[in-house]
Amino acid sequence: MSFRKIDVDAYDEDVLQESELYSPDPRNHAQVLSETKQKQAAVRNSLNKGDILGALNVALDSPPYGHNVEEAKNLTLQTVVSVLNITKATDIPTVLKSLSQDEQDTLMKYIYKGMGMPGWGDVSGSVLLGWHEKLTEVAGTGCIVRVMTDRRAV
Amino acid sequence: MSVPEVYSIAQTPVTCHAFNADRSQVALSLNDNKAYIYVKQGKEWVVEETLTEHDKVITSIDWAPNSNRIVTASTGSQCLHPLTGRLVWKPTLVLLRVNRAATFVRWSPNEDKFAVGSGARAIAVCSFDPENNWWVAKQLKKPIRSTVLSVDWHPNNVLLAAGSADMKARVFSAYIKDVDKRPVPTVWGEKLPFNTVCGEYASPAGGWVHAVGFSPSGDVLAFASHDSSINIVYPGGPVIHSIRISTLPYVTLAWTAEDSIVAAGHDCQPVVFSGSEAGWALVGTLDDTTSGGAKSTARAGTMGKLSSSAFNTFRNADTRGHTGGAEVAADTELLTVHKNTITSVRPYEVGRDGTVSRVSTSGVDGKLVIWDVGVVSVGGVTGRLGGMRM
Repeated sequence: MSFRKIDVDAYDEDVLQESELYSPDPRNHAQVLSETKQKQAAVRNSLNKGDILGALNVALDSPPYGHNVEEAKNLTLQTVVSVLNITKATDIPTVLKSLSQDEQDTLMKYIYKGMGMPGWGDVSGSVLLGWHEKLTEVAGTGCIVRVMTDRRAV
Repeated sequence: MSVPEVYSIAQTPVTCHAFNADRSQVALSLNDNKAYIYVKQGKEWVVEETLTEHDKVITSIDWAPNSNRIVTASTGSQCLHPLTGRLVWKPTLVLLRVNRAATFVRWSPNEDKFAVGSGARAIAVCSFDPENNWWVAKQLKKPIRSTVLSVDWHPNNVLLAAGSADMKARVFSAYIKDVDKRPVPTVWGEKLPFNTVCGEYASPAGGWVHAVGFSPSGDVLAFASHDSSINIVYPGGPVIHSIRISTLPYVTLAWTAEDSIVAAGHDCQPVVFSGSEAGWALVGTLDDTTSGGAKSTARAGTMGKLSSSAFNTFRNADTRGHTGGAEVAADTELLTVHKNTITSVRPYEVGRDGTVSRVSTSGVDGKLVIWDVGVVSVGGVTGRLGGMRM
């Protein structure tokens, strides 16, 4: 009877692996972590000076993605959300328009990641939803589709 | 002829369509296992014949213009190839030796081969064997890792582009020894035995490659992928121009000239891209949504008091939860000609110099529409899509 519980895909040599679908992050685990911590410090500096756009540029640049960089990914998420929280609602459209397409796509990935974390809804829900609405107006539904299809999960 | 010709073929989706050489007949499939041949009578398309040889849903149809042959592919992993008699279509079964559905089929430019993409991670290239009077399939397998969603032939009859669900677009050589003469070297390579991969490309954010197409000269490759982008590849560099679009993904594309492409898909209107090796950009849409819209949203106000705008505001607030006012009611209705995803765009009318002046599209809404490629409205795309909300 236990044959029903056998995972046949594990025995199939030709099965499509997740890792085949995107090119992996070339930096190694420790390097990514140290870069992330440096970015966090740089973002904090920019925010103290009131430079929202600069902070966002740094936070969204070369995001960690892939499998073995969980801590770096979480740190980056916290950094990004801290920038989003501080920005005044009236400044959001200006900031968004100055982001490059890559940065807009990455920002949308972090917004969805933030919305998906359990418990964050109470803390940052309205902030994330507000940014989501403004970003969709600027970047369109194509940006959202790219978050769904891109295998390089942040 | 600047207004698009719209034909409502059926209430079911038109999954694929193919015109014959003089555009007097069209073969199409209505999401079932039958292929219909429609003939143009006056201003309407009327069913002339029904081909019922397949027992599963037909996924793709192609009509060879010169030899007047149709090939159809279905999920039952077979291909059918009716030859034309004077008035009779005689079907010939082609066994592809794949154990999954056939997804896409196209005749080669010389009409002596056809390529079938399938879910078995392979492309079957079929050529006619006169000795045994049947079609023989050779398979392109490596390095395809998932379903093949689309194929397109290079004008030299040997190279084949394929888009696949493993997020890659590839160019293969489909050279078959007794059918093809040794091809002239192209930008894609020379001395190319069967199954050589001449190039493998992906879009930056990945995404299934829904449609591929060679330019009329064959020197440029375009592919549309599910991450809402169009990519144009010049193999010399290789230089890849990736255009990210702000709307839903395209599932089909067609080159209209060496520097211009028409693409269509989930946002229900064909759009035009234009460019060269230096760069490509979105030009506009073929669907001028601003003019036709007014008719469809006007209500027949014969009731006097009951059709006043105040009444409508409260009625909308009650039934639909809209509190914005009368014009918000138009939000849920699409003002494009096609009311649902466009499944296929094909060149319809080709000018003497090889540029396409009109294209035909079929959609999930059961319509077949013929568009004039020259009528591009720039404001239409952003205006309409700015109004699109979640």
